[in-house]
Amino acid sequence: MFNKVLIANRGEIAVRIIRACRELGLQTVAVFSDADRQALHVRYADEAYRLGPAPARDSYLRGDKIIKVALESGAGAIHPGYGFLAERADFAEQAMAAGLIFIGPRPSSIAAMGDKAVARQTVARAGIPVVPGTEGEGALRDDELLALAPQIGFPLLIKATAGGGGKGMREVNSLEEMPALLTAARREAEASFGDGNVYLEKLIEDARHIEVQILADGMGNVIHLLERECSIQRRHQKLLEEAPSPFIGDDDAFRQELGAVAVRAAQAVHYENAGTIEFLVDKEKKYYFLEMNTRLQVEHPVTELVTGIDIVKEQIRIARGRQLRYTQDQVHPNGWAIECRINAEDPYNNFIPSTGRITHTLLPTGPGIRVDTGVYIGFEVSPYYDSLISKLVVWGETRGAAILRMRRALEEYKIIGVRTNIPFHQRLMDSHRFMGGQYDTRFVEERFKSFEALSAAAEDGEDQPELAALIAALVAHQQTQRATHVIQRSKRDASNWKWLGRWERMQR
Amino acid sequence: MKYIATIHGKEYEVEILDEHRVVVDGVVYQVDFIQVGNQPVYSLVVDGQSYDALVYSDEDAWQVMFRGRMFSVLVEDEREMRLRTALGAAAQKSDEFHLKAPMPGLIVSVPVQVGQPVQKGDVLLVLESMKMQNELRSPRAGNVARIRVKPGDRVEQKETLLSVV
Repeated sequence: MFNKVLIANRGEIAVRIIRACRELGLQTVAVFSDADRQALHVRYADEAYRLGPAPARDSYLRGDKIIKVALESGAGAIHPGYGFLAERADFAEQAMAAGLIFIGPRPSSIAAMGDKAVARQTVARAGIPVVPGTEGEGALRDDELLALAPQIGFPLLIKATAGGGGKGMREVNSLEEMPALLTAARREAEASFGDGNVYLEKLIEDARHIEVQILADGMGNVIHLLERECSIQRRHQKLLEEAPSPFIGDDDAFRQELGAVAVRAAQAVHYENAGTIEFLVDKEKKYYFLEMNTRLQVEHPVTELVTGIDIVKEQIRIARGRQLRYTQDQVHPNGWAIECRINAEDPYNNFIPSTGRITHTLLPTGPGIRVDTGVYIGFEVSPYYDSLISKLVVWGETRGAAILRMRRALEEYKIIGVRTNIPFHQRLMDSHRFMGGQYDTRFVEERFKSFEALSAAAEDGEDQPELAALIAALVAHQQTQRATHVIQRSKRDASNWKWLGRWERMQR
Repeated sequence: MKYIATIHGKEYEVEILDEHRVVVDGVVYQVDFIQVGNQPVYSLVVDGQSYDALVYSDEDAWQVMFRGRMFSVLVEDEREMRLRTALGAAAQKSDEFHLKAPMPGLIVSVPVQVGQPVQKGDVLLVLESMKMQNELRSPRAGNVARIRVKPGDRVEQKETLLSVV
């Protein structure tokens, strides 16, 4: 039994795990790179140790250093969070060999599900439908993939074998464009996961991305915590998740069928701890196993809000060798939850990542709102890690109530210093198709292709360009006044340089 | 003081009479306008309606965000406006566009060559940052000139990468 946990991660998820540990009375150990000395997870933890320079391969991916820190600090367990080392079976194995508890599944389960080709074979054997593709073919060369592509049929997807989160993924519409896309996908996979292997998968059209959260203890009990809908994606990166799925709606029979299939998939690899089974579901409610994420998910809070179950605490409880606190018949959905991923990226400029210092932030608060974040005023958003800076999660009695609450929260949320995708989420909340739950995984790319044009168009008559003109003129006027003031002063004031400096800053 | 504010090609005449009275296209607004906490956050109360706006200054325009909308507003006084009109559209066309790195990162590829004609929206360069490959596109038509980087180069924020003339 451990009473000190090392969190091998950074950002909002490290903070989230520290909070769970603290509520359970466990001591916490943070690790950090040179870019994160000031980060919230370092400041919140009981202990903190430096790993190395900013690039992940020199810090958060240094499993050897992390295990050493855990042993030296007396931590009995490691929580890997998501990303970085979370789905590396070798890391879990090394941690266990060093006498540490890995808060996650057994290395054999990570290996079985982590290699997606093996994963698909495993669940297919358990009688679960999978998407057609180059499953189980191993690491194929470009010429082999090009030969197999026409058999699968276009459109298809190139996916990173070791991947996740849309990295190293490309959509292919014809054989002609495939070689260049293969090169790009391999490159991105190599950069993100240190493994350039890719596989092909048929693209299911009009697909919804629906996933099921599962929990499994060491005694063979497996339950599911219902589904999450994650179809709002851009370049295969999830942007918004909700629970329950508006597509499944009140079809409880389908909900329970999907849940039971997810439990079967987990049992097929003797799964232990928290995990997620992702499905693609088409219009006819035909579902295909997509992959299993053998870790905590970014979007776990929506499930927590509708089930009332703290998934991170359950993970720790399972890792301590205890039995699940809940049985399947105790899991009921209550109301509706929506999560918006707040990314440091500019929706008005092709969603390009934005870096810089956060100079001001005002968090939405009040009933039904949860914000999981790792940033604060003065924090420097660096280019080294992914652009997720905050998760805004709301709960409402109904989906409509949750959408209205999310609108309110987005309007309140102010982050100054970096550009964020908050305006994108605001437009999404105003979209009639989103409100009606009528969307698939292509929705964002089709409807929000030119965000700027969409934003400029007065969709619902609420546009007030004359007020924008008024505000801009007043700001410009104030600056001119101040600049004039400066010039007047400079005739008699000794501290000209200070004023000039301010004036120049304003002119930038 | 009179200003001309241009939004998507449409001009608005804004006259600031005094601290609390502003005329936009002939309509008088009673305004209470303050900057909040020395940040680019402004609170505007106009005829009893309250607006919270973010205002950034871009290279030549103001970006005004409020109620989930973003407006790019060019603000000129009458003198600047006359000057620009006098120089005419010809002077504007000859402006060069210098593509600057929006963030530090690694150049993945440069799919264009010097002298190549490009259209608005064409990909000029692929920059990897925050673990994502980002396509940097041309904001207007022109010819590619002076490519200053090659694949594999590390670049700093605001570094000039190439020009479109």
